[in-house]
Amino acid sequence: MNLIAWREEFTIGLPDVDHEHRELIAMINALHESLGPDADAAQIVEALGEIHARIAAHFALEEREMRQLKYDSIAEHKDDHERLLDDILDIIDTVESPAAYDPEALGERLSRWFSDHFRTHDLRLHRWLAGRH
Amino acid sequence: MTLSPRQWLRAFFGALEALCSRAFTPAWNPLLQLGSIGWFFFWIVAVSGIYLYVFFDTGITRAYDTIETLTHAQPWAGGVMRSLHRYASDGLVAIALTHLLREFALDQMRGKRWFAWITGLPLLVLIYVSGITGYWLVWDVMAQYVAVVTGELLDVLPLFGEPISRNFVNESSLSSRFFTLMSFIHIAAPLLLLLFMWIHIHRHTAARIQPARGLSLLVLGSLLALSIAVPAVSQARADLDMVPATVGLDWFYLPVYPLVQQWGGATAWQLLGGMLLLLGLMPWLPPKSAPPVAKVSLLNCNGCGRCVADCPFGALSLEPRSDWQNYAVEAVVNADRCLSCGLCVGACPTATPFRSASMFTAGIELPQLPLASLREQLKKSCAALSGDDRLVVFACEPAGDLSGELRRNSAVAQMPCIGMLPPSCIDFVFSRRLADGVVIAGCTANGCYQRFGQCWTEERIAGQRDPWLRARVPRERIALSWAVDLRAFRSGLAALPPLRLSGRDTGKPGLLLAGPRWPMPVRAVGMALLLGVLAGVTAVFATEPAWRQLEPQEAVMRLSIRHATATKIECKPLTPRQMADLKPNMRRPVDCPRERWPVYVELERGGELLYRGTHPPSGLWNDGAATVFRTFRVPAGPQSIVVRMRDSGRESGFDQVRSGTIDLEPGQNFVIEFRSGKGFIWEDMS
Repeated sequence: MNLIAWREEFTIGLPDVDHEHRELIAMINALHESLGPDADAAQIVEALGEIHARIAAHFALEEREMRQLKYDSIAEHKDDHERLLDDILDIIDTVESPAAYDPEALGERLSRWFSDHFRTHDLRLHRWLAGRH
Repeated sequence: MTLSPRQWLRAFFGALEALCSRAFTPAWNPLLQLGSIGWFFFWIVAVSGIYLYVFFDTGITRAYDTIETLTHAQPWAGGVMRSLHRYASDGLVAIALTHLLREFALDQMRGKRWFAWITGLPLLVLIYVSGITGYWLVWDVMAQYVAVVTGELLDVLPLFGEPISRNFVNESSLSSRFFTLMSFIHIAAPLLLLLFMWIHIHRHTAARIQPARGLSLLVLGSLLALSIAVPAVSQARADLDMVPATVGLDWFYLPVYPLVQQWGGATAWQLLGGMLLLLGLMPWLPPKSAPPVAKVSLLNCNGCGRCVADCPFGALSLEPRSDWQNYAVEAVVNADRCLSCGLCVGACPTATPFRSASMFTAGIELPQLPLASLREQLKKSCAALSGDDRLVVFACEPAGDLSGELRRNSAVAQMPCIGMLPPSCIDFVFSRRLADGVVIAGCTANGCYQRFGQCWTEERIAGQRDPWLRARVPRERIALSWAVDLRAFRSGLAALPPLRLSGRDTGKPGLLLAGPRWPMPVRAVGMALLLGVLAGVTAVFATEPAWRQLEPQEAVMRLSIRHATATKIECKPLTPRQMADLKPNMRRPVDCPRERWPVYVELERGGELLYRGTHPPSGLWNDGAATVFRTFRVPAGPQSIVVRMRDSGRESGFDQVRSGTIDLEPGQNFVIEFRSGKGFIWEDMS
């Protein structure tokens, strides 16, 4: 079962950004599939590293578009991006130390991580974009 | 080991730069902002020039008078403005030439960096044109000297129908309109200069055109002090009937002029042209090798534009997507501008060493130094470290070769510019426990070889520029080093205490070396000394040493002829038959071939031949006037002269002859002219 299912309300109205959202969800779901009691920690770290890079690039693109559109809450949104990126690195750090590693909790954390940002900052951007037209 | 002249020069600039960084601090180091000081001087000259122009009147006597009045009636305003105008223009020349030398020494004009170099050359020419026409306007003896020698210089070129030197043989031949022309050129040339200055910096993103504010104030203060201490004044009023034996020259602007007199205009042009040509060719002279340019990986590029924002040379742009991916744009490298500095790599969000080994390619990379191999190298060299004071040193290549021994338990990773380092690499070192501290070393504080390496690195660590360094990376375990030289860096590194978590994180990386500086009182003395020396040099060379163009007992004799001789073949009427043979539009009653006879002239002084020459008529059809303009230095005192001219088709003998005895005063400008119908004329001495 997918960890995160794509929902229409995730669409924010910028084609590039929406495309990347779908890709990222797919990546996280793929990682979740591979998580299990016998999962290889090194592989998970690598997969998380890739996710981190993709999300960093995704945020960079989203920030560029927000700047171009002169989005009013760009500073808050950007701060949340940085917080999220640091979070993934924290997750990577925990996976690397076997004592703290728990696949269940990791899946939970990833899912919450993504959905929270969607529900708050991206939703606000979506509404702001809709309000402009 | 022998050093090439360029390496000597580079070592010299390096030492001077280190000295200035200690005295001025790197932020105020004038050698690191020569270009922007040039701009600053330009604006001082422009503002003071506008003030002077309000009071300036064109005209043979008015020009000198208005400037004298301005200088002496309002020394506190006009006088200071005039001095600022002069000294800042001298400063502009000095700065421009130093700038040129420094860029040459650092080899920053080679290959793809040709643009700023080439567009700098017209700047030099325009600075000289502006300065020389400016001196002309004062119309003192130096202006007269400039006018006469410029005339000689320009008359070598086949530009003018008749020698423009003839304008300056005596007061009656000089029109006040000439001053209008000069002041027009003196305004037009600086405007063109400004245009070229703008073009000059065109390929530098965010070019610095303002020096650090404190430095600007220091420079302006020194100029003001100089203007008050040694006000710029005019020399004696120009008098075209006399040739001043000695003239105070501004050696910043006029070093070529004595050469024109010594070697002649043609040699001077060859020298100047040769120099400009050599300078112009320099970017393409061997050895020229360029590393491969940055390469975009489309699979890893979503067109976020961070690399475009960080490129110091405008080599990147966002263009419509060329692949199947669902993005609008992609980064594109302009290979003609890319200098392979790698600052784009440091900006790329996908350039993080946390990625999987199999997929690790950033959106933009330098082919000669892929991040994946940098990471492997780093891991390998860190594995050899031990203890609790392990250090990773990230350094740029211009900082010097660090492959030799470094005191500490350290691993070194070097790259073309420190701005190439993705901040996540610092994070990676700590996350993977590769080392206990990170030292980031750049070439020179405030003088990055790739312009923004230091600046971007500091801003990325501080979270002011993307990509940010992760907030939780302990800044107390990072030390920055913007050393003035390799030795300073080595000793700074040797003295660095272990970078450990102290629990008192200030959120800022430690500064290992911001470039060592002297304590404030020493610095103040250093700055005062340096600026004082520069001001003194400017004041001295603005008029000294005086140039002696005539010995005390010499005078000048000029032969000035403009003469339209008779046509070679006389006009003859055409017969009706001959006319009928011509095409209808060519029919004419009289046939007049237009070619004229040349002028052959001889000048004798005291029985000795001084000059003899044949001068063809001017014009494409040899139908214009022949001109002769020659200058001779002769002893003063009484002497006999004979001048003869043949201006017809005769084989021998002369059509015009005049002889006489004259008595020349020392320094007199004695002119022998020829006028049709009057023959040879000169000032009667009896």
